[in-house]
Amino acid sequence: MNLVERILARASGLRAVEPGQIVIANVDRLIMHDLSGYLTAEVYDRQVSLPVRHPERVVMVFDHHFSPPTERQAVVLESNREWARKHGINLLDCGNGNLHHAVLRRGFIQPGMVVVGSDSHTPVHGAIGAFAAALGNDSHAGTVLPFGKAWFKVPRTVRIELAGRHQPGASARDAALWLVGQIGEGELNYAALEFAGPYARDLSFWDRWLLTLLCVDLGAKCAFIEPDEVTEAFVRSLPGGTLDLLERSDGQEAAEVLRYDISGTGPQVACPPTVGNVHPVEKVAGTPVQWAELGGHGGGRLEDIRLAAEIVGGRRVHPGTRFNIVPSSREVFAEADRAGLVLALHEAGATWFPPSTGSNQAYNMGALAPGEAMISTHARNFPGRNGSPNAEMYLASAATVAASAVAGVIADPREAVPPGGRQRDGRTGDRRVP
Amino acid sequence: MRFEGRCWTFGDNVPTDHLVKSRYVLEPMDEIVKHVLEDLNPDFPRHVRPGDIVVAGRHFGQSSGRAIAAKALKATGIGCVVAETFARTFYRNCFEIGLPALEVDTARDLAHDGDRIRADLTTGNLENLTTGQSGHGAATAPFLIDMLSVGGLIKLAAQRPELFR
Repeated sequence: MNLVERILARASGLRAVEPGQIVIANVDRLIMHDLSGYLTAEVYDRQVSLPVRHPERVVMVFDHHFSPPTERQAVVLESNREWARKHGINLLDCGNGNLHHAVLRRGFIQPGMVVVGSDSHTPVHGAIGAFAAALGNDSHAGTVLPFGKAWFKVPRTVRIELAGRHQPGASARDAALWLVGQIGEGELNYAALEFAGPYARDLSFWDRWLLTLLCVDLGAKCAFIEPDEVTEAFVRSLPGGTLDLLERSDGQEAAEVLRYDISGTGPQVACPPTVGNVHPVEKVAGTPVQWAELGGHGGGRLEDIRLAAEIVGGRRVHPGTRFNIVPSSREVFAEADRAGLVLALHEAGATWFPPSTGSNQAYNMGALAPGEAMISTHARNFPGRNGSPNAEMYLASAATVAASAVAGVIADPREAVPPGGRQRDGRTGDRRVP
Repeated sequence: MRFEGRCWTFGDNVPTDHLVKSRYVLEPMDEIVKHVLEDLNPDFPRHVRPGDIVVAGRHFGQSSGRAIAAKALKATGIGCVVAETFARTFYRNCFEIGLPALEVDTARDLAHDGDRIRADLTTGNLENLTTGQSGHGAATAPFLIDMLSVGGLIKLAAQRPELFR
């Protein structure tokens, strides 16, 4: 059995499970944000009249709002607080960061756990070796809250073997976007994806996160990277970090293997209208952008902020473009401040926003007028998600977003060499050969 | 478990954002339902009738995992949703909230707007009664048929709590 099968077997009290089998498994962690939490609470209060079985396993994070802009939204948040108090669940209120980053940084996610949530990017937690899947509100209300359990169909596993090294100026974000373009949206429906091979193994924990983040766009149920010394070192850095539940695959070959060589991959941009519409940055370079944002599930990491500061260098954000920076957690904001990045980017003309999920669906910020365009590290770009359906959302790496913020148009980060032209593998400074 | 009705077709990769627009997510369902799929076909929310069948392409219902997207589609009164493939959270949510869903990989080739369609979840058969064409998908898992028969997951858990203890 592989890691996913071992976790599901243990959680459902079975000696073994196989793909296609339906099991009912214990859930170790339920994570919800302010909107999914509200919708779940509504269903729970109206249709289920049982106490929450394991309130300590449930955590709600207010990340779509950092400060409610309307009375209606304030009422939603207050209702969530009251519901959290009534049932004794964990609550991270406004300002704590993006749901997935916040729960991870606070030690709510550990390797080997069964993690569920209604946010569709919940599978990102496979990066740490958890079995993490997105379920709907009725699963949470119907079985997870009252019984601490959920039903699962054991997924088939597809191993994605990645070799090579992305081009200088590109990053794991570009490799992940490129993979979605290559494989195609929804093409690996219902599967568990294992990211393997030298490319995946050589990535830092937070860059591995960018691979598992995008598995949902391939249609996957979950994704994982076999835990190794990178995983273990990261777990030890977490509050209460523990390897007690850790499971490893038994070494059996995956039934399906897809192999990709990352070597040719430069900066990529997912263009409207869907995440699978991926092109090399050259194809859309020069497109005017009124907004650039580091934030959301795929950005706002310390790595992103540091890279943005390097790309911006001593220059200023373009006068026609607003550059939003949204730290993914309070911890990241503190780290960025200690590194001097907060003032540097502020003085370059960027605007800092509270730790949150930023412009994700424009609940608290980031609505676009017709004809406006945003380039960001967010995870989604469907038309109408942020204000006007006639606005455009482009998804890219932190380097491409920062280079575009300075240029006022979508820009190739390989051409955005800061004064003094640093040379660093995979980061800034490698000027494109014409 | 068979459903028969008039067909509405949609394309590939339709996200839940088109079923429930973010600006309506906190509104009551009778408001949300007026806007379901309106950006793709403005006639759909206006003229959909009880028992109609939605037939879509690949990866229908991608994006959000919130059950409200399936609830909004069910609230239009359709009897069944068919797609070449569904995004998995959407497929799961359909059964959990009591909306019959069937995957048939040739669905778009044999269905056209206005045709009479028959979908059988038990066998996986899809028939176009207007043209006489038919297609075949996988039979639906008995666990999911049971869930639909009682009206969704919450009712299943209430009627058979021993499954989840």
